[in-house]
Amino acid sequence: MKPTLLSRFLAPLALAFLVAGPALADAPAPQETPSLAAAVKAGKLPPVADRLPQAPLVITPTEIGKQGGAMTMLMGTNKDTKMMVVFGYARLVVYTPDYTLVPDILQSYEVEDGRVFTFHLRPGHKWSDGEPFTAEDFRYWFEDMAGNKELFRSGLPDAMLAEGKGPKFEVIDPETVRYTWAKRNPLFLPALAGPEPLYIYAPAHYMKKFHVKYGDAKFIEDQVKAQRVRNWAALHTRLFHPYQDDNPDLPSLDPWVPRTKPPAERFVFERNPYFHRIDPEGHQLPYIDSVALVIADAKIIPAKTGAGESDLQARYLRFDNYTFLKEAEERQNYAVRLWKTAPGAQLALYPNLNVNDPVWQKLMRDVRFRRALSLAIDRHEINQAIYYGLALEGQNTALPGSPLYDPADRNAWSQFDIKAANKLLDEIGLTARDSDGIRLLPDGRLLQIVIENAGESTEQSDVLELIRDTWAEAGIKLFSKPSQREIWRRRVYAGDTMMSIDKGVENGLVRPGLAPMEFAPTTQGQVEWPKWGQYLETKGKAGEKIDVPEAEELATLYQKWFAAGDDATRTAIWKKMLQINADQVFTIGIIAGVLQPVVVTNRLRNVPAEGIYNWDPGAFFGVYHMDTFWFAPEGSKQASIQQ
Amino acid sequence: MSADSPRAAAERLPHYVSHEPFDPYAFEAMSPEQERYYLASQWRMMWWKLRRHRLAVISGAILIVLYASILVSEFLAPYGLNSRHNDFIYVPPQGIHLFHDGNFVGPYTYGYDYKLDMKTLKRVYTVNPNKVQPLRFFCHGDEYWFWGLVQGDLHLVCPAQDGTFFFLGTDRLGRDMLSRVIYGARISLTIGIVGISISFLIGLTLGGLAGYYGGWIDSLVQRLIEIIRSFPELPLWMALSAILPVTWSPLWVYFGITIILGMIDWTGLGRAVRSKLLALREEDFATAAMLMGASPRRIIVRHLLPSFMSHLIASATLSIPSMILGETALSFLGLGLRPPITSWGVLLNEAQNINVVALYPWLMIPVIPVIIVVLAFNFLGDGLRDAADPYR
Amino acid sequence: MFQYIIRRILIMIPTLIVISAVIFAIIKLPPGDFFTAYVETLRASGEQADLQKIAFLREQYHFDDPAWMQYGYWVSGLAQGDLGFSFEYERPVSQVVGDRLLLTFIVSVATIIFTWVVSFPIGVYSATHQYSWSDYSLTFLGFLGLATPNFLLALVLLYLANVYFGLSIGGLMEPRYLDQPWSWAKAMSVLSHLWIPVLVIGASGTAGMIRRLRANLLDELQKQYVVTARAKGLPPFRALVKYPLRMSLNPFIADIGALLPHVISGAAVVSVVLSLPTTGPMLLSALRSQDMYLAGSFLFFMAFLTVIGVFLSDLALAWLDPRIRLDGGVTR
Repeated sequence: MKPTLLSRFLAPLALAFLVAGPALADAPAPQETPSLAAAVKAGKLPPVADRLPQAPLVITPTEIGKQGGAMTMLMGTNKDTKMMVVFGYARLVVYTPDYTLVPDILQSYEVEDGRVFTFHLRPGHKWSDGEPFTAEDFRYWFEDMAGNKELFRSGLPDAMLAEGKGPKFEVIDPETVRYTWAKRNPLFLPALAGPEPLYIYAPAHYMKKFHVKYGDAKFIEDQVKAQRVRNWAALHTRLFHPYQDDNPDLPSLDPWVPRTKPPAERFVFERNPYFHRIDPEGHQLPYIDSVALVIADAKIIPAKTGAGESDLQARYLRFDNYTFLKEAEERQNYAVRLWKTAPGAQLALYPNLNVNDPVWQKLMRDVRFRRALSLAIDRHEINQAIYYGLALEGQNTALPGSPLYDPADRNAWSQFDIKAANKLLDEIGLTARDSDGIRLLPDGRLLQIVIENAGESTEQSDVLELIRDTWAEAGIKLFSKPSQREIWRRRVYAGDTMMSIDKGVENGLVRPGLAPMEFAPTTQGQVEWPKWGQYLETKGKAGEKIDVPEAEELATLYQKWFAAGDDATRTAIWKKMLQINADQVFTIGIIAGVLQPVVVTNRLRNVPAEGIYNWDPGAFFGVYHMDTFWFAPEGSKQASIQQ
Repeated sequence: MSADSPRAAAERLPHYVSHEPFDPYAFEAMSPEQERYYLASQWRMMWWKLRRHRLAVISGAILIVLYASILVSEFLAPYGLNSRHNDFIYVPPQGIHLFHDGNFVGPYTYGYDYKLDMKTLKRVYTVNPNKVQPLRFFCHGDEYWFWGLVQGDLHLVCPAQDGTFFFLGTDRLGRDMLSRVIYGARISLTIGIVGISISFLIGLTLGGLAGYYGGWIDSLVQRLIEIIRSFPELPLWMALSAILPVTWSPLWVYFGITIILGMIDWTGLGRAVRSKLLALREEDFATAAMLMGASPRRIIVRHLLPSFMSHLIASATLSIPSMILGETALSFLGLGLRPPITSWGVLLNEAQNINVVALYPWLMIPVIPVIIVVLAFNFLGDGLRDAADPYR
Repeated sequence: MFQYIIRRILIMIPTLIVISAVIFAIIKLPPGDFFTAYVETLRASGEQADLQKIAFLREQYHFDDPAWMQYGYWVSGLAQGDLGFSFEYERPVSQVVGDRLLLTFIVSVATIIFTWVVSFPIGVYSATHQYSWSDYSLTFLGFLGLATPNFLLALVLLYLANVYFGLSIGGLMEPRYLDQPWSWAKAMSVLSHLWIPVLVIGASGTAGMIRRLRANLLDELQKQYVVTARAKGLPPFRALVKYPLRMSLNPFIADIGALLPHVISGAAVVSVVLSLPTTGPMLLSALRSQDMYLAGSFLFFMAFLTVIGVFLSDLALAWLDPRIRLDGGVTR
């Protein structure tokens, strides 16, 4: 195979990996991993054929790689060990790079009517300690953990509730489990495939030792004392950290398993000898033997990366580090790639529709006011001045690349037009001005908007600086007020802030099958309508009832999406919701599609030249199968293409 | 009588009485020079002594110039505080030249040609020797509100028409660094003065009380000082800045921060005051005042304080730099002033990343005024302290 | 003497109690608590907090009890040597702090030694050569360290050391030694990284030291006994070293006790920039995330050491300089 040709063809299409579906009868004969050969020979480890499931998952990478090597990445805190679970991206079901769901740990699954989910495990699949992974692990989680009041005080996680009710759980046979809800539960599979997955299974053989129902009372008591926790439940919770990935003793299904106990400055993860994926030539994945996470302060990570201290780095690098990183490219033998990002807007303004001040509330709820604010922003200037013109101007909505993308939504009320803005403001009746030309509110106060934010980036204050100048032309005075994330949030929830600036919707690559929760009032966390969100979140116990028809319609549409049975209906609902959002300008998007620098050392292969660096769906490097990344021998030419 | 002793009479000196007025201390008379010395007030003597510390004098002069400059920042800055130049982002400093092609042109700058390198996304500016842009002086430029009161547009120096004058380069939004440094001085220089006044007030009051009364008041103050001193400054800063209400306007936050700095800083002064008072109250003149029925307030303020005021001023001068540095550190921690306020601390905090160090080093220039001011205060304070006891 | 020691120890107890109360108040001052902050931080990156676990920890650590009760739990724990639990690291505070103490100790001691080695000769020289140009330039050099905001200095040195010496950026050793046992190579790697933090942290301390030594020595040099000694023909060097120098050292001894919080606090900002695995950055992040037991217990531990340190240095002072009256309170 000629890798150059193939990858040149495949990578830009983001189709680098052909993920195998259900059981492959013609799985290649497994080859022993060189770094494990000694342990196998010594009898410490079974041979590779016995370690793999009977039907391993075959991944076809861009290039067939060689096993071995150690990779270093930089992380900001001890808690970042979870990134190995995110990057490793072994889930019951996973997204492909084009965001369709396929089985991964599961051999296959069936869904009936969006209510009945039947999961088939891979026969012979084993935990990282060699114990079998079976239906018992699902049962243990569902009955002995989630069903235990001491462990799960508030019951099942949200994604396992359909209209407030949990599923019926059945073990069909040791390799098959079934969850049955009375109503449709469209959140279930996406939650399983999330970067921070919903774990509905646990290594029963290990956890039972610490469960009061199964374990030895004396042993548990000793452990409780040794770990200085209050009771067995605290102990159990502490040890079951599959996402944080900080317990080296906890059996895992991930490609790499932790070998370092925190706290530490360097965390080593080693290959899971029982991992369930192989390449077409029968090499067990992951290719790379071990990954080290070096902990450094987030602020110096760009500097360390520029000094060539990381083999693969995107976390803690920002677009404005690009020039610095690029200049060191030759010297440090790495390549800086620019990946796309997926938030609906890099930055958006959030008028608080629930602001306490009655005059302001009336104004914020006036769609003409919100449109005027949006029209008075010169997005092109912002793009040129701060993002070298490489970003995407427009509203906080779906991005090109999403099947729901509509340029009309993105461009709605986003052209810089001071005249139109002034006209709208005059229409509202804000005609009186002071000597500086700042408009006056009906009660005589100045029209000055305080925009609060979490105070975490200079980018926000820079953009506000630019907006301030154009808003002044529309007779609006802007003050920016950085505070701290938590304090700011608190003030938003209480209705004390007028407006905030923050990242736009988390995922702009929306799909009909993903819940449109960010486009309708759903939770208190939405800073444009915190009290409405809180009202719906708490089922009317707190917050305020929605009293703007358009927002109410969004809430209704959101409910309808849950009940919808097919993608066509969901698409229609989505389109309608996006259109309402764009037209009503509930949030004022400024700029989107800011690129993410990804630094890849030259020896590291199979990292796509172009990709989308997104949290959910995407799991950052996860959908691009980090387990197929490999180190080419020293001095070999970079085979993959450069854009 | 006289006939009996002719010899004696012959040898006797004639009786002489001087008609000059009698001055018993005449032999101790001082030359005018000595007189000047002995009659000089304490402050005058300090000044004489201070003059010997040449660096201190120079430092004092620098400080006076700097503090005078904050009165007319608007006039000195070539651009407005918030003037942005979208075509001149990250412009390196433009040098000032005098001669072009061997001819004297007067102070001028060369214009820049701009190119965006799309490969590295670097803004490349090359000097264009054909664009000679003579500076204008006492000219009309960006409009401003002088101290927020009077509108004006007169500047000491402006770029040529359609030219640019970025003596210290520009930042990421194309703002002139020189102007920002000049405006930033207003905040950074005063923060130390306000802070030190507060710390002076607390230190004098508490230290004075402790030193004069002694007893339980003394031990209370002593413990308080000990407690404050046994903390690292960091958590104190963090906690105190957490109390500042978020609704405060930037100006109030600024005052809040000076108060915080002052409240932590007073302990050293308090200790000094206390120990001095402990010693001085035993002196005879204090006892005398007490016997004459002076109130403790009068004794402290009228008799005791003046005798070591010079020491206090010296130590206050030495604490100002730590306040100025404290402001930069607070900004670094994200606790102090934040943009859009411009202070040296804010500017330095913006320079605190690897991009700046590697690519735009001129953004670190605000460090120079900080160093100058801190050094000047230190030398002045040193000189003052050496001079504080002029009779030595 | 004995009576004095007893009295000082007795005074220490209420002092420590007040300190613990102040610490607790400081940590409780910012609105919210660790978990509300934690939930918001996670939300910012699109993650969801494990509410089950949070409810669990909230209850276990009495988050919903009134503040004075929480204080009671903490202090009674402290009295029994239980430093509490770090929510950030999810393990007992003692385990979190333990690893960092050694490196903090190395950095601090190296810094103090550096400070003394630099400031001592400069201080003596500039006191004996008052108002000479060498006095000016040496003092200038010393003050330069004080005047440069050290977080910026740290970053610049970091970058230059990488570009010119190929030193890895940040930390106290090459990353590959991080989880290795101590060896010669590891120690050398630490040494090659140590100079930046020591230089940066020490730079700000030397100026103060130089100034105090110079001032004290000047005071002593003008005293009669020095004049007498010199008049009687004692060589200048001996006349300097024998008495005045010793006398001017008293403040140094008095300072040892109070040095600790300043080294830690001054080092915290620098350590953050340099990403040092010391206690400073840990304290800073604990304070920021309101990880109350970690921040509180660590602060208390330091305050405790400082109080003891001040006590010991007072004792040492009294022992070295009999003129200091013990019943006159703390002398400095």
